[in-house]
Amino acid sequence: MSTTITVNGVVHKVDADPSTPLLWVLRDHLGMTGTKYGCGVAQCGACTVQIDGVAARSCQAPLEALAGVKITTIEGLSADGNHPLQTAWVDLNVPQCGYCQAGVLMAASALLKDNPHPTDADIDAAVTNICRCGSYVRIRAGIHAAAKALHAQHKV
Amino acid sequence: MNAISKLDRRGFLISALAVGGGLSLGVIPTGAQALGKDGEPCEFCPWITIAPDDTVTVQVPTPEIGNGAMTQCAMTVAEELNCAWPTIHAEFASTNRNFQQQNVYANGPGPIYGFFAGRSTNAGRLKPLLQAGASARERLKTAAAQAWKVPVSEVVAKDSVLTHAPTGRTLRYGQVAARAAAVVLDKEPAPKPRSEWTLLGRAAPGKLNNAAIVRGQTQYGMDVRLPNMLYAALMQSPVHGGKLKSYDFEAIRRMPGVHSVVVVDPSEPRVKLPFDSPLPMSTSTAQSAVAVLADHYWQARKALEALPVVWDDGEGARWKSTEQLQDAALAVCESPGKVMLTRGDGAGPLTSGEGRLVEASYLTPYCEHAAIEPLNGTALVTADRVDLWHPSQQSQQAFCVAVEESGVDPKNVYVHQTFVGGGFGRRVFGNDVRMVVAVAKKVPGRPVHVIWSREEVMRQGRYRPMEAAKLSARLDAQGMPVVLRARAAGNGHSLTGLQDSVYAGGAIPNVQMETAVMPIHILTGPYRGPSYNTNAFFAESFIDECAHAANIDPLEYRLKLLAAWPDPHWAKCLKEAATQSGWGQPLPRGQGRGIAISNWSGGGKPNAGTTVAAVARVEVTPAGVLTVHQVDLAVDPGGVVNQDAVRAMMEGGVIFGVNMTLNEGLTVKDGRIVESNFHEYPMVRVAETPTIRIHFGAVSNGERFSEVGEAPVGPVGPAIVNAIFAATGKRIRQTPLRKQDLSWA
Repeated sequence: MSTTITVNGVVHKVDADPSTPLLWVLRDHLGMTGTKYGCGVAQCGACTVQIDGVAARSCQAPLEALAGVKITTIEGLSADGNHPLQTAWVDLNVPQCGYCQAGVLMAASALLKDNPHPTDADIDAAVTNICRCGSYVRIRAGIHAAAKALHAQHKV
Repeated sequence: MNAISKLDRRGFLISALAVGGGLSLGVIPTGAQALGKDGEPCEFCPWITIAPDDTVTVQVPTPEIGNGAMTQCAMTVAEELNCAWPTIHAEFASTNRNFQQQNVYANGPGPIYGFFAGRSTNAGRLKPLLQAGASARERLKTAAAQAWKVPVSEVVAKDSVLTHAPTGRTLRYGQVAARAAAVVLDKEPAPKPRSEWTLLGRAAPGKLNNAAIVRGQTQYGMDVRLPNMLYAALMQSPVHGGKLKSYDFEAIRRMPGVHSVVVVDPSEPRVKLPFDSPLPMSTSTAQSAVAVLADHYWQARKALEALPVVWDDGEGARWKSTEQLQDAALAVCESPGKVMLTRGDGAGPLTSGEGRLVEASYLTPYCEHAAIEPLNGTALVTADRVDLWHPSQQSQQAFCVAVEESGVDPKNVYVHQTFVGGGFGRRVFGNDVRMVVAVAKKVPGRPVHVIWSREEVMRQGRYRPMEAAKLSARLDAQGMPVVLRARAAGNGHSLTGLQDSVYAGGAIPNVQMETAVMPIHILTGPYRGPSYNTNAFFAESFIDECAHAANIDPLEYRLKLLAAWPDPHWAKCLKEAATQSGWGQPLPRGQGRGIAISNWSGGGKPNAGTTVAAVARVEVTPAGVLTVHQVDLAVDPGGVVNQDAVRAMMEGGVIFGVNMTLNEGLTVKDGRIVESNFHEYPMVRVAETPTIRIHFGAVSNGERFSEVGEAPVGPVGPAIVNAIFAATGKRIRQTPLRKQDLSWA
């Protein structure tokens, strides 16, 4: 059984049971380990990717439902790690252990695409990931900093 | 012939002995890997290599669990090495090398937690790394002086450049590294005094691995990928200590990708470790388990879910409910326990004061670490070699467990430490290492990646223990405590939080603390601020109750208790947190502020450990819905080497404390843990994060650089319940708060 999916602009043929969650397709079949397993039940958000630009828990997306969609993972967030969110994350020393952050960044970048000037309430609603280290204060600050940087870029 | 091979065994021993004190300080290279060939890094000592392109690589013994320990070790070396910060890289030091080369990183396993655990700033860590950096710097200078045929005193080392001051000639570190690594100094340089530090306590670099994290490139244990690797899904006896009775492999044999089923039998004979381990090996015992191996994890997991398994629950099944456990623990507190500490007439009757007798009982539940990286590890075991790729929190303990479980000669056991997706104490004991090796050794020659599902992690924890406590105090005529008595009961605990407190350290004249260890099957272990996280809740809730009985403001009451305490920074922390929080200013109805203070690891002594005071501002609706609006936290760890790193630990620690108090608590049914995943074990998220303000105004800049990860977890919970009392008049003596009735009016 082989299914064709598009991840970060690259077409892959995947030989896996059609019910296999995208999370495990990415990690174990395509070797893209940036997307993380945390809970498997759409609670923690460590596995967040974007499907057609919308943040989605990849542990809940079966392979069979993914033909024809565009999947973006942390590996495809930017060409060289310079998305304004990635820059802000480094500048503000946001990560602690860092395990959850790929998922947080994918949720936050989806938010900024739709909403370039998110309020705290917008962030609360869109970034529902669990960070056990408790980097939430800096996650919020990082999103605001990236929004500002994006705004400045667009003005130029 | 390079300089290193001339070093005989005696030369090495002398260099190691020069430092002593339980830590090894090799300041010269050891072993064959000392000098690089053309283009390769040159080893200055086991800690430091420098490459021709100036790259400095520091071997770091501390796993990186998110507290920045790896970066801190590199920063400490850089303080003396004077290299440019961007040239610094860090790798995890090899426990195998430490074994083979007679403790080049640590003399033996050291005290509990040892040198290969997660801390980075105590004197035992700072001194050898500062010395290693200073030694390497002087040898670079000497090599440059020899090249220029000038006195070494005329050479300056700064930002990875060596400059001959009188002529302005320069060489980069990388250009002289090969020559410098062979230099043997007549005398080792003394590291500079703290007053001359330029990085430590001044700069606050972010973590070295941040750039990799934000690209998804950091390799955690979960990300290990090896050729021909099998995945294993693991299931241990749902009642801890139970035994596997039977399973039916035929039912899953033909499922896609399935390779085999492997059984872990705790009663199987194992070799005895031929040397001491950092932690008792009994903390890492195997649990009866079954694992399904398959080509991919999802296949292994689906097959495990389909596998018929029968367990013999054993003794633990007699505990029918959480309430039964709690009632038993509360009952134990009514009788004398093992005396842990007596001061003055603490053992005497509680009738000696003129004021009121205050008594209260408290309960805290089992809590799971819930690191977001589930437990996992990868091992390749053959008859004569073990390779283990593991997100360990104590890589030397991991090494010891891998040796014991495999029975392989320790010379041939290699632990490849990965990054760690959260530790919080869960990955210290190495029971996860044991299960990984126990499974992999049944499939010799193939790497096996063993993964605990989230459900398995949650139900197979080494939990923060459930604990009950009864506290009693006799007050004097002014309302201050004359006698304090505390009794605690649970499994796997001690009264550290109280013993570390000022109240047991002399502020209250007569104190006695007793504990009773109950024979409960549920497995426990260290959890961020072991026992302190519970006992700070007991002590600071109770002192608040005493203040109320005395009709004295809770801040003022604590300051009175601390009036004669020889470490003034306790009172300063309280005042700092209180002032910054607006203590005493009026609040709307339904809101309140609460205060608490605690000290992690100071042993109830002045100028020791990390002191933290917190003020929480909460709101409780009449129906009982709780919101924590703000937490102000003041900290005194002694000295601070990276303020932003300390701030990050405090911020995260506050959230950990909030979550522990509001949300966390496992329930037990027929000996099993009920909760399976985050929908039943909720976590604070961005939306519920209070305003958190960390204050450094009470920092003493003392001699010590005490560890900062655990401390903030202590005062947050009691500050919240004390705030609830201030807001509602309702005293809550049990967590998690989400399960308590907070309604009022």
